[in-house]
Amino acid sequence: MSRVVVTGLGAVSACGLGADKLIEATQAGHSGVKPISFDDLDAQRVKTAARLSEADLAAVVGDKPHRMREPVAEYALAAAREAVAQSGLSEAHFGESCGVSIGSGFGGGQTLNINYMKFGREGSMRLDPMSVPKIMNNAAASWVSMEFGATGPALCLATACSSGSQSIGMGYQMIASGQVERCLAGGSEACLESGVFRVWELLRVMTADVNRPFSKDRNGMILGEGAGILVLESLESAQERGANILCELVGFGTNSDAGDLLRPNPARAAACMRMALKSAILSPDDIGYVNAHGTGTVANDVNEVAALREVFGDDLAGVDISSTKPVHGHALGAAGALEMIVAIGALRRQSLPPTINFTEMDPKIGIDPVSKEAKAKSVKAVMSNSLAFGGINATLIAQAYDQG
Amino acid sequence: MSTKRETLTKELLELVAQEGMVEPSEITPQKKLEELDIQSADFVMILMAIEEKYGAYVSVDNELTDVVTVQDLLDLAISKIEEHQAAEA
Repeated sequence: MSRVVVTGLGAVSACGLGADKLIEATQAGHSGVKPISFDDLDAQRVKTAARLSEADLAAVVGDKPHRMREPVAEYALAAAREAVAQSGLSEAHFGESCGVSIGSGFGGGQTLNINYMKFGREGSMRLDPMSVPKIMNNAAASWVSMEFGATGPALCLATACSSGSQSIGMGYQMIASGQVERCLAGGSEACLESGVFRVWELLRVMTADVNRPFSKDRNGMILGEGAGILVLESLESAQERGANILCELVGFGTNSDAGDLLRPNPARAAACMRMALKSAILSPDDIGYVNAHGTGTVANDVNEVAALREVFGDDLAGVDISSTKPVHGHALGAAGALEMIVAIGALRRQSLPPTINFTEMDPKIGIDPVSKEAKAKSVKAVMSNSLAFGGINATLIAQAYDQG
Repeated sequence: MSTKRETLTKELLELVAQEGMVEPSEITPQKKLEELDIQSADFVMILMAIEEKYGAYVSVDNELTDVVTVQDLLDLAISKIEEHQAAEA
């Protein structure tokens, strides 16, 4: 088994363009949540989302949108370019020895939405002829592989809110097993389209107020968007080319509840965290910080805290927990990748980002997360959880790179 | 109970029966939703109907997960609708 290290990070999010912007916003507690309005929705109930600013969107998509690329592909490309630049990889490092693993929950939501609206309202048959290649879920992964000439395995996991985490996990496994030397891994999502937004409203899991994970008065999540990409590499490959190693990816766990499509099961989430710890050969005591899935819905937070207690002990002593979703929103298929970058930021800065907007402990779950402001702490390893609809759980663990 | 609230209660009972696909005669305020076989998916339908009829967006919060009986659901719905109407006024 090869050891796997991270040598590049890239992010596009409501917090700005760049992984540093995302990390800085989560550390400072500056939320990227903004007003959002859709002309197509005559009665829009939820009026905020963690969307890209107009300037950032224009910078990523360009003055004249690419005929065959949706924002979901552009976000992934922008994040991948940043991560590759940081890693110092050059042309010779791609080809067969580099895989791509980029998940997305919805794929090309924009084209799908425009087509539905046009067909539904006007009955027009003159739809975008490039709809199929734009909508298909693997478009982002394919565009990234083409951009860099990465001809190794190209994967696109569409496992809702676990897509990003599982995609990083698959990249980790491909490198650990020796199948490839490196992998561009993460997730991308551009789901802030009228029709998509409305169906999230109908599920009643979005708050019309403020996103407050773990708080007694929480009443839902805030949607987000963006992309997070990591350059994963075998330790050997990184050392050979003298790359700057950001941290080591040491653990991955994933499993299924095989129970209910929407209602989570704490025993399965706990089993997932244990699987990641086992693969990392670490004990719960080694984990100093958990970036929780922490959506701020009643069900997720109750479930996740119960699972955390099962793994880390009833009193959760020794481990600090926070959710950074009120800052970057719930970016669905990109969420796990953005949050892993946030967790790596916490590890590298030895500073844990706060759960902003937290007001009061919920007696039903009894957790006091890191809140209000960042907390300085010496941490050796960090964990990031994703718990998706469909009962799909994923956990990643990173630790400080130790040359010994 | 004010007349306005009585009307609202009556309308809501009809709405719960219709969206929960339950015989109106079976619904009494003290009955547990579980006994009426009203589940989480029906809740979403009831909340959608409340949005359509009263314009109030109700997301799932701690109070909603504490609802056990038809009366609990009515009390919560009425308070949310009144809250919404006060905010709109």
